[in-house]
Amino acid sequence: MKKPSSRKQGKVSKSIVFSLVFLVLGFILSYSYSNSLLAEPSEENFLSSDFEKEERYREELIEQLERNKTLREEMQVKQEELQNYESSFSDGAEAVSDMATEAEKLRRYVGLMPVEGTGLKIVLEDGEYNGQSANPNNYIVHESHVFQVIHELYISGAEAIAVNGQRIHANSTIICTGPVIEVDGVQYPAPFTIEAIGKPDVLSASFELSGGVLDQLVNDNIVVTMDEGLAIQMPALLSES
Amino acid sequence: MWLAILGLILGVSLGLLTDIRIPPEYANYLSIAVLASLDTLFGGIRAHLQQVYDDKVFVSGFFFNILLAAGLAFLGVHLGVDLYLAAIFAFGVRLFQNIAVIRRILLSKWAEKKEIRESV
Repeated sequence: MKKPSSRKQGKVSKSIVFSLVFLVLGFILSYSYSNSLLAEPSEENFLSSDFEKEERYREELIEQLERNKTLREEMQVKQEELQNYESSFSDGAEAVSDMATEAEKLRRYVGLMPVEGTGLKIVLEDGEYNGQSANPNNYIVHESHVFQVIHELYISGAEAIAVNGQRIHANSTIICTGPVIEVDGVQYPAPFTIEAIGKPDVLSASFELSGGVLDQLVNDNIVVTMDEGLAIQMPALLSES
Repeated sequence: MWLAILGLILGVSLGLLTDIRIPPEYANYLSIAVLASLDTLFGGIRAHLQQVYDDKVFVSGFFFNILLAAGLAFLGVHLGVDLYLAAIFAFGVRLFQNIAVIRRILLSKWAEKKEIRESV
């Protein structure tokens, strides 16, 4: 009774052990098989003879040389393109710099930038009171005098003009408001300092023209002092005085 | 018996499906393991035919030989000596011997059977 059961048990354990053994065997065999399948191409490369290797390297070298050649040609074409582009760019840059200088010039004229330079400084002062004429209008500075001076200066080539340090622009208004004049809404009493940037000799010559502005001002009993060739600084239009 | 075949099928499918790749320098170990397992298998068959078969010897030999071969190869790689060649040589020779013995036994059995059949 005991023997067969133990034999049966032994059989079962035996078959289990056998199945385990065959499992390992099958695993190893199939695994190495799939592994060798994968490794085969690289192995073939590895084991190929020196001659084949040399041949292959030569072919690769030729391929690379051809590729280099085509690339070099391509590079030359690109270089030409680049040169063309650069020359056109330098032309463009010249144009741009011309434009920039012009823009700066224009900005100065318009009054958007503070300017400095040599020019002319004219101070208009009320004349001395004298008893002969009862009308004070005969010896005080009117806005028309200021106008005259400014116009004359502009005509004779002034680049920038300021009245009492206030920049005059194209739309500036100068109004007479009783004893003072108003430049763009800012009131100034006499004396009026009119500064102009430009060629000092030209400006002064045209100002002193006989029968010109200076003579008229002097006729109107106005004290005129003129400084030539000063270095004049003017603020920009928008800056607060 | 069926369990053994089932194990074989399972092992084969497992081996084919595994995606783990061993680095090429360890491929030697695998080949030696294959050789060792085959050698032990044929040794077992021979022992069975010679009626000296023992489970314990077979199973222990199967696993021990695999491990020993792999260990030998490992040692050889680290010592700079191609020890795995020794394992391959030993297992290869044994494999051929075993197969030759099996063939002879089978042949003699076949001849016996034939003789008996002829005598009958």
